[in-house]
Amino acid sequence: MNSLRALVLIAALFSGLLQAAELKVAVLVQDPAQISMQGKLIPSSTPGADLVAVTDELAREICRRIHAHCAFYYVRLAEILPGVEAGRFDLGFGNFLRAPEREKRVAFSDALFRSSSRLIGTPANVRAYTTKLAQPVNLANLRGARVAALDGSRQQAYLDRNASERALTVVATSTTAEALDLLRNDSADFALLPIRTGYALISRDKAQRFVFVGPAVTAHGLGDTAHIVLEKQNNALRRAANKAIAEIKADGTFQRIMYRHFPVFLD
Amino acid sequence: MTTEDDRHRPSAGKAFVVLASVFALLFGAVVALLAFDQYRVLAAATRLQHETVPEIIRYQRLARNLDQLNHEGERFFSSHSAEERQQALFLVMLVASHPSILEHPQAAAMARDTENYLGEINQLAARDPSALRARYPEWQRISQRMHLLVDDISVEGANLATADLDDMAGTMRTARFKLLGALALVGGFILLLIALLRQHLIRPLQRIDHALSSLDVEQPAPQFPDASLAEIHAVEEATGRLHKAMISNEAARRELELLANRDGLTGLINRRHFMVGAEAEIRRAQRYGRPIAVALGDLDSFKRLNDTHGHGAGDVVLRTFAALLTDSVRQSDLICRYGGEEFAFLFPESSVEQAHILVELFRQRFAEHDIRLPDGVLVRVTLSIGLADASHCPLEIALQRADYALYEAKRLGRNRIVVAAEAD
Repeated sequence: MNSLRALVLIAALFSGLLQAAELKVAVLVQDPAQISMQGKLIPSSTPGADLVAVTDELAREICRRIHAHCAFYYVRLAEILPGVEAGRFDLGFGNFLRAPEREKRVAFSDALFRSSSRLIGTPANVRAYTTKLAQPVNLANLRGARVAALDGSRQQAYLDRNASERALTVVATSTTAEALDLLRNDSADFALLPIRTGYALISRDKAQRFVFVGPAVTAHGLGDTAHIVLEKQNNALRRAANKAIAEIKADGTFQRIMYRHFPVFLD
Repeated sequence: MTTEDDRHRPSAGKAFVVLASVFALLFGAVVALLAFDQYRVLAAATRLQHETVPEIIRYQRLARNLDQLNHEGERFFSSHSAEERQQALFLVMLVASHPSILEHPQAAAMARDTENYLGEINQLAARDPSALRARYPEWQRISQRMHLLVDDISVEGANLATADLDDMAGTMRTARFKLLGALALVGGFILLLIALLRQHLIRPLQRIDHALSSLDVEQPAPQFPDASLAEIHAVEEATGRLHKAMISNEAARRELELLANRDGLTGLINRRHFMVGAEAEIRRAQRYGRPIAVALGDLDSFKRLNDTHGHGAGDVVLRTFAALLTDSVRQSDLICRYGGEEFAFLFPESSVEQAHILVELFRQRFAEHDIRLPDGVLVRVTLSIGLADASHCPLEIALQRADYALYEAKRLGRNRIVVAAEAD
């Protein structure tokens, strides 16, 4: 069935019929409230609204560039990769880092930007754990803590791998906003999030309750280039998406989208 | 014919194959060297395109991100509120967390120090806002160091291209020298080829051509220096054989000519040859106004001799007559067996009177000459002669007149000479 879909898509690309093709595009949300909005304007007051807006604009621009009519679905991270793998979505916008286990399941586009991961915590917890560990807290020396991470993320995978050795309690959340809620509720001591997501969330926290903890990390699969995921066999769509990415980077569209929602553009 | 010497002599075909092989090997080696240089240039260009240029871009992006970090640090100090300062600090942390900065040790250390420093100032400023002003000079020094690092990284990135470009330029220079070497090699080989062709092919061929052009039976056989190529040597040998064949053919031709012009019985020239030679002599004499005379002689009673003593006796008489005649006349005179027992004479540079003296002497000598026949009998045979002047008329006419005179000599009793009357 998947092969048939790929063949139809390849034929459509070569015959110029992709304009008529409808692609299902998954867009990552940062807050559960954004799921129910599905295509409506997401209020900037909701956590991570800027991140969703960037992802949404990027997805729509790429759809335009590949001359496809796209239907957008606003979903949690954990739904995107399995959805693309199963053919429920054609394109998955969730700033996915490459990982061997992911490579087996889906295809990756060319890089959108580069990312790292960083711990987030409250100043009180930072002080407590600095005392407890007798050294400044960072991801490498963190032990015996409850750490929140997005379900299905590379951060969760890292924590799961080190949980038993370092007595960590991994608390998986469906959205990044929920991870910060856990910190607020003292249901978690720290959250390990992608740096851009972490920045978007804590910089918009009026109460300024959160700080970055320790240095950012790119090792252990926690940082590298971020990508769109696609169906593994759909090479024609992957080529078209890559061409669109190259175009929007070359003509400055990508940078303009980023600047509309972030004060800096980091490539 | 192939001799042992020829077998040790290289053939032109083999020599060409050897030369062509050597040239192909040398040229192939140079082409391979050039191809290797081209491969190196292509590899350097590919490396430049796919590795170095992206790496340079990475350096430039890092420099730009550090500039951004510096800019946000500046914004931190120029903030008007604690909230603005916190936002600037968040941005500093965001920039400092970027992988491009983290993977560069100096930049990472600089970003970490900046982040820690600004975090510390932020805490101090929360308690005492004047701390911002007091610590600003220190920030300026940090900022200055960051600028220097940005410059270093920019230059470091640009220098990456220099190595690849130097490598390419070096390879191209080497390729140019190799190309010049290849041209010199080809030129040298062509000169060598020309020299070898001249020495071993063209000059021997010229010698052969000259020898063939001047090949003559009167000349000695052509001599050639020792040729190095078997084919040339074979042609030279063939030229020598050709010369020998020419000499042999010439000897045969002369013998045949002699046979064709002589009478088989008497050894005198035959009538046809006499007529050709006499015609030429008469034309010459008449052209220069010189005297010339012809005569026809006939042995008297020769038929009776044959009938009495047999044809063998007649042949002996004829041979004896011819021998005596040859011995008696001048070398310049022409004598032939005109037919049967009849003989023709031509006396160049002689008037009828002078010729008459000559033939008269001979007639007397022959008439007194004893001839021994095969049966042992000794006989004497006489001769009748008709003599005519040929200095003013064609040969045929002169002979006709001599014939009339001969007839007259026979009629008058034989064994005499009758001079034909002058022409009208």
